[in-house]
Amino acid sequence: MDITYLVVLVIALALFFDFTNGFHDTANAMATPIATGALKPKVAVALAAVLNLVGAFLSTEVAKTISGGLIKEGSGGVLISPEMIFAGLIGAIVWNMLTWLLGLPSSSSHALFGGLIGAALVGFGVGAIDGGVLLSKIILPALIAPFTAGLIAFVVTKLAYGLTRRYDKKPDGRSGFRYGQIFTSSLVALAHGTNDAQKTMGVITLTLVAVGMQDAGTGPQLWVVTVCALAIALGTYIGGWRIIKTLGRGLTEVKPAQGFAAEASTAATILASSHVGFALSTTQVASGSVIGSGLGRRGSEIRWGTVGRIGLGWLMTLPAAGAVGALAALVAQLGTVGVIADAVVGVGVILFIYLWSRRDEVGAHNAMSDVADSGHAVRITEPEKKVKRRDRVRQTAGSPGTETETGRQRGGGALPDSDATTTGDDK
Amino acid sequence: MNTVTSAVTAGAVLAAAAAAGVGVDWVAFLSVLVWAMTAAIVVVGLYALGVRMLIRGGRVPVVAPAEFTDAITVLSPAEARKAERKAEKAARKNPLTAGQKRLARLTAYACFGLCAGAVLFGIYLIVPALHGA
Repeated sequence: MDITYLVVLVIALALFFDFTNGFHDTANAMATPIATGALKPKVAVALAAVLNLVGAFLSTEVAKTISGGLIKEGSGGVLISPEMIFAGLIGAIVWNMLTWLLGLPSSSSHALFGGLIGAALVGFGVGAIDGGVLLSKIILPALIAPFTAGLIAFVVTKLAYGLTRRYDKKPDGRSGFRYGQIFTSSLVALAHGTNDAQKTMGVITLTLVAVGMQDAGTGPQLWVVTVCALAIALGTYIGGWRIIKTLGRGLTEVKPAQGFAAEASTAATILASSHVGFALSTTQVASGSVIGSGLGRRGSEIRWGTVGRIGLGWLMTLPAAGAVGALAALVAQLGTVGVIADAVVGVGVILFIYLWSRRDEVGAHNAMSDVADSGHAVRITEPEKKVKRRDRVRQTAGSPGTETETGRQRGGGALPDSDATTTGDDK
Repeated sequence: MNTVTSAVTAGAVLAAAAAAGVGVDWVAFLSVLVWAMTAAIVVVGLYALGVRMLIRGGRVPVVAPAEFTDAITVLSPAEARKAERKAEKAARKNPLTAGQKRLARLTAYACFGLCAGAVLFGIYLIVPALHGA
């Protein structure tokens, strides 16, 4: 096959991967402010998209290390061919689409590494993979990231609620945390932009160097930086609403002070990890923060089933993307016919997953609530049994605590100051 | 004694793992944990303190959600107004003198200012051109 066509194909796939990376990771920054209503869903994703676009132009350092490091890392000096990169990208994209369909936040970097490792396994055999590096650079950090972020989020959530807790039923002003959420989430989005778009820039540069269209050791060209920035920004704006739904309300119900604490922990952990030199996955840090903040707020529940599904997804990411990448590499070895077959099957799978997702579409309108609109018209009351007994006694002593009254006051939970029926929960 | 022995054993295992090149750089990991924990505690602590001081100073923040994301927390405009009135009422009942209130408000603004500084420092860390990496 003419090498130019292959390069064009790889660049197109790399940009599509960048796009999936964008919508996969919108949730990391924006799930909690959307969940608490700090930002309107569309405004939140637009803000994240702009920050990702800006972030992508801010730095190309990571792209340089990736385009330099992958060649050495993948196969100990063996040059990775464009066919390998092509196969690896197919593995990464298919896994990203599948996890999006299932609404699982999973690391796009791990999917990319998995796909490339799978392709390298087929191309160069088991010897190409350094098991020790794999364990210390990818698997152990993946275990550590959520626990680190979770611990930090737990502590600062306790702190935030402790400092604003009032026992005299006067307004605690916790709805004021909504403003703070906007800033911490924006930091996470900007940090994401400076990192993630560069992975794709690195892959494209690596390909251009591999076929001799660019000198080795040079950074990504301006057009590469521009298209990668646009692709990730577009992906971010489209928004992975399924994943936003999972992070925003699937793990636990997020309140303003809790969301602020979670996003502050995410930003702090990511910035610390990128400056002290212990790389952690943004997705895993963000998920850990949400879980930790849920554990830190009194009266919140963690849906451990969802946590388990996400954890399983993380364990599966590397081998699954690797298996698809290996399969694609195997077919690609047939030559031009193989590459075309790969491309056709890959596009077919992507289309199939997209069409499948249309069966139960999740978008800005229903990511957080299927019934929010009807809630405006119908006053929803909570069952009486949810109110603890001592509160019911207090309620009947104080004011006529009809069921409607209870529901309305519980309904005011978004504004903590209308919280007359205390159930011991933090709002 | 037992704990000391097991700690030593664990340390030996970790050292062996590190020597074999499969371990994690625990020093780097611990410094990430310490830095991140410190930064998060400072930012969240200051913001929470700011909110608390604002209330003490007679300004209760009432921020209605931009969009009603959950049927349980749906608020009508009338309910939001009611919440604001309640906040005003609580602010009027404040037992502090005018000077104390002003001091509390100034403390609150100082807290928020420091938080803004922390965000700017975050941007400084994110943008390589600023910290010269």
